[in-house]
Amino acid sequence: FISKALHYTNPKVLQRQGNNKTNKYLIRDGPNALTPPPTTPEWVKFCRQLFGGFSILLWTGAILCFLAYAIQAATEDDPAGDNLYLGIVLTAVVVITGCFSYFQEAKSSKIMESFKNMVPQQALVIREGEKVQINAEEVVAGDLIEVKGGDRIPADIRVVSAHGCKVDNSSLTGESEPQSRSPDCTHDNPLETRNVAFFSTNCVEGTARGLVICTGDRTVMGRIATLTSGLETGKTPIAKEIEHFIHIITGVAVFLGVTFFILAIILGYTWLEAVIFLIGIIVANVPEGLLATVTVCLTLTAKRMAKKNCLVKNLEAVETLGSTSTICSDKTGTLTQNRMTVAHMWFDNQIHEADTTEDQSGASFDKSSVTWQGLSRIAALCNRAQFKAGQDSVTILKRDVAGDASESALLKCIELCCGSVRAMRDKNKKVAEIPFNSTNKYQLSVHETEDPNDNRYLLVMKGAPERILDRCSTILLQGKEQPMDEEMKEAFQNAYMELGGLGERVLGFCHVLLPEDQYPKGFAFDTDDVNFQTDNLCFVGLMSMIDPPRAAVPDAVGKCRSAGIKVIMVTGDHPITAKAIAKGVGIISEGNETVEDIAARLNIPVSQVNPRDAKACVIHGTDLKDLSQDQMDDILRNHTEIVFARTSPQQKLIIVEGCQRLGAIVAVTGDGVNDSPALKKADIGVAMGISGSDVSKQAADMILLDDNFASIVTGVEEGRLIFDNLKKSIAYTLTSNIPEITPFLFFIIVNIPLPLGTITILCIDLGTDMVPAISLAYEAAESDIMKRQPRNPFRDKLVNERLISIAYGQIGMIQALGGFFAYFVILAENGFLPSRLVGIRLEWDDRSTNDLEDTYGQQWTYEQRKIVEFTCHTAFFVSIVVVQWADVIICKTRRNSVFQQGMKNKILIFGLFEETALAAFLSYCPGMDVALRMFPLKPSWWFCAFPYSFLIFVYDEVRKLILRRNPGGWVERETYY
Amino acid sequence: MAKDGEKGDWKEFLWNPRTREFLGRTASSWGLILLFYLVFYIFLAGLFALTMYVMLQTLDDHKPTWQDRLATPGMVIRPKANEALEIVYNITETESWDMYAQALDKFLSPYNDSVQAEKNHECIPNQHFMQEDSGDVKNNPKRSCQFNRTVLDECSGINDRYYGYHDGKPCIIIKLNRVIGLMPEMDGRAPYVTCGPKKEDTDKIGELAYFPPNGTFNLMYYPYYGKKAQVNYSQPLVAIKFLNITANQDVNIECKINANNIPRGSERDKFAGRVSFKLRINTRK
Repeated sequence: FISKALHYTNPKVLQRQGNNKTNKYLIRDGPNALTPPPTTPEWVKFCRQLFGGFSILLWTGAILCFLAYAIQAATEDDPAGDNLYLGIVLTAVVVITGCFSYFQEAKSSKIMESFKNMVPQQALVIREGEKVQINAEEVVAGDLIEVKGGDRIPADIRVVSAHGCKVDNSSLTGESEPQSRSPDCTHDNPLETRNVAFFSTNCVEGTARGLVICTGDRTVMGRIATLTSGLETGKTPIAKEIEHFIHIITGVAVFLGVTFFILAIILGYTWLEAVIFLIGIIVANVPEGLLATVTVCLTLTAKRMAKKNCLVKNLEAVETLGSTSTICSDKTGTLTQNRMTVAHMWFDNQIHEADTTEDQSGASFDKSSVTWQGLSRIAALCNRAQFKAGQDSVTILKRDVAGDASESALLKCIELCCGSVRAMRDKNKKVAEIPFNSTNKYQLSVHETEDPNDNRYLLVMKGAPERILDRCSTILLQGKEQPMDEEMKEAFQNAYMELGGLGERVLGFCHVLLPEDQYPKGFAFDTDDVNFQTDNLCFVGLMSMIDPPRAAVPDAVGKCRSAGIKVIMVTGDHPITAKAIAKGVGIISEGNETVEDIAARLNIPVSQVNPRDAKACVIHGTDLKDLSQDQMDDILRNHTEIVFARTSPQQKLIIVEGCQRLGAIVAVTGDGVNDSPALKKADIGVAMGISGSDVSKQAADMILLDDNFASIVTGVEEGRLIFDNLKKSIAYTLTSNIPEITPFLFFIIVNIPLPLGTITILCIDLGTDMVPAISLAYEAAESDIMKRQPRNPFRDKLVNERLISIAYGQIGMIQALGGFFAYFVILAENGFLPSRLVGIRLEWDDRSTNDLEDTYGQQWTYEQRKIVEFTCHTAFFVSIVVVQWADVIICKTRRNSVFQQGMKNKILIFGLFEETALAAFLSYCPGMDVALRMFPLKPSWWFCAFPYSFLIFVYDEVRKLILRRNPGGWVERETYY
Repeated sequence: MAKDGEKGDWKEFLWNPRTREFLGRTASSWGLILLFYLVFYIFLAGLFALTMYVMLQTLDDHKPTWQDRLATPGMVIRPKANEALEIVYNITETESWDMYAQALDKFLSPYNDSVQAEKNHECIPNQHFMQEDSGDVKNNPKRSCQFNRTVLDECSGINDRYYGYHDGKPCIIIKLNRVIGLMPEMDGRAPYVTCGPKKEDTDKIGELAYFPPNGTFNLMYYPYYGKKAQVNYSQPLVAIKFLNITANQDVNIECKINANNIPRGSERDKFAGRVSFKLRINTRK
């Protein structure tokens, strides 16, 4: 549709379209606005929190509990309430954690909403010959609209007339330079042609009239937005990990449950009893507290990341950044400062380097040369840019400038070096001016000189270097005018090539003092019909500009590299500029060459170079179009340093998909609308908080509040840390599952009084274990996590067999023994020796037996022995707390010794005291005997588990010692989780 | 396609012929890990046994370390009622009360005078029968006092082998749980059991007869020295005969021990120092 409209040349009919017609169009095409992506209703979001991932496990547990209770209620007169309570508690845990994470994410999305630009847009429309200001939403196809500098373009328009109109297409194409618009159709591709301006891009300067060709969702921008919302996104890595974890846990639970179900049947229990046991065992495997722990850990990290300018929209994305193995970064604004800055000058036959750092900390050059004074004067005078008013307090580099990017760069450069440009301009009043146009490729102005006694006029000119050189006959060297000879021309060429090769935009500068006899004071300079000398000028120098990299970026890229993360630059810019910036920030590292570089070095054609020799490559968007999928994979696999230049939004998507096909977890940064499909498709889309468009922020998972690439790296670091620490947290939490399950198993198998009850289990999982488990999220990294490779999502799992083996098979077993020891001690000291206990269960739990005999011949009523049993539960509980002290200390590290790691984690120390205090409170607080059936312990019973706690510590320290001494050995293969 | 692949993966996981792996491990790998766990668990078992052994060494053979949960000894009735502590029977149906009589027969058989005379010692009544150890020299085995069935008189089942169940005057036997070292007394004399009606059943309970007279547990049966030292200890009993209890109605009765060195038990424990039960004698079919 657009292509046709490009050549359509009869606007007159439409120009006068009446209100009736516009209304008809408005009804047909709908308002000129992007259809917002279908927002998920709040209740759906809430349900997702309630029923997603980990919660499923708890829900299953809860349902099984209710089922068991129903069976008991149907078959027994006086069913034990344990299963009912457990079901209720499980439900409560899921609902509360669900609410918590829902509110957490709602908070982030509220910050998101604050980004939205709520000001309604206006458009100047010419209808029936009259200019009317209407709401941009009411613009319809066929309207003639007028835009001027500073306006946002209200729809896709075909320019019918323009005066120096330039538009900033950066949000659409990523090109940072404003582009001029004119009525000529220069290209069949609507994106390339000069006569189309796009919806939601900005008109930087000049004015234009245009015919609306597309509105709303049919605009180029609209179609990209639609493409974005149509993309399916995969599961986050952490969601996959949690799924894998659920598989393992379910596997263990079902295995244990079925084993003991069969055992129970063999032992002569009835079917129903065995089913109750089966459910009981399966439910006991559910780590009740883990969901809350994981959520809190992720939230804490999200908060920490927000402090470091990474706002995370989706909690799970916190970890994704840590697993990232490839970052596809935008150039403009993310890697660079997004402002043109003078980088180099060439004068006196020498290249001088200007300071491009953000804080002017770089080296400066010799400013005393007379040539430099001449050059700076031209740059200041032949320049239409000026600072906007009222910014005296702002540092020069941060001031807003009215004018195009290169002129602003010159303005700032001169202001920094030579003081006020305004003063200079006041002293050298402008007499005449020819603005830049594409045919001349130069800009000139004529000024009075500073010296009031000198009545000569000064003509200054800047423009494309080769054009300027053509107009010069002399050159200024060390302040002296010398004839332009071949040698000088060659020097000029070399300098021009060198600066151009750096990806910089080069401008040439020249001047001349017009002879007073030909141009006396008051001479009328005619700029339309040039009546004055514009050749035989004096060449002064070159100045080159670039959008320089941000100061922190090279360091951040270096960190990424040592962290094994591939950084790919994807930009809409020219390959040369892109390559120059890539080299500047280290995306193409020093010493690495592209195929073209090798070809140039060896002086052979590109086709003869073995592509495998080149680690780096720069790929042009048009080449990318012709690549097959295999070729694409080949490039991504075999080049470590890749720059994509001149890429379109669809291509960006192809690049992301290509990386994902190779198994990489891809982070994509972007700010423009054109980036949003890639942002959505990426495992983690990172939008820019300052320069980013709303659409891109919508599509992203994370927002960089300071637009700085370096913030991503801190994000990666946090993400990796939380992955490690979640492992530790899970190892810690899972361990206590064994001392929680084994009592029930022994209760069934050897018919002893129940050593640990449901209430006490919940007190551990949701009480004492909570703070220590969360405190592990604060644990410092064991080694430099930014020095190792990103985790392999297929191999490095959050929870693996080794973690289960350690937690369940080893540490958990020691813990269980500690608990059982306390249990036997209490019963024995009260008169029931272990030999008496085996097989006692039926009598023990019989309410009508009130004279049960113990080992010593004493007789016990039901209530008396139950108090002892509950005291045992309390002691078992306290013992688990005691062995969990050791567990949390050993879980602090996975490889290092605690003595290397230190006990610097204050939250963890607090956690140790907190769980102990909580245990003491639960045991000794009056009323607990009625409320939770927990009883005060004799002081000596607290110490029963101490030897086991000590054993855990020693055992694990020895294990880790062997692990460190013997890297890759059996211990590492079997126990390093 | 994907499903087939998954199936293949699963099969290969179970047994991978190329690498000779079963469940992802080779035979030697399985061997090593199983050996490790075997050694590890044997070590743990040994350690556990050691700590248990040390703990058992700290225990006294004759007296448990703690007795604080048994401060108020429990009371139990015989014949053993059902879970709800109801003794309900119909006079006209022999089989409804015969089981009670049989239970009591069985319960009382060790108290037969002949058995008691053979095994136990005749003690001096109304004083504690102290048999303390002198220092480290254990005074074991300790002798026990006779409690003869005949003391229960009308409830002994000797004269009336149906214990009064057949004529609506049933006997209930009450015992106080054994607690080592416990010496209950009421102002220096023997503690005794009293029974009374609960709630509004005051007028239904009728007259009661206690055997031995006054329902006392004679002091000579205390203290108890434990199963190991005092093998043939005969637990003293008190029998209560309901002489004219209202028939065809639920009668709630509570019996309690009267001793001033036994604390009142907790409200929750319905059997500490007291016992409640329901008696219902039906006379109609």
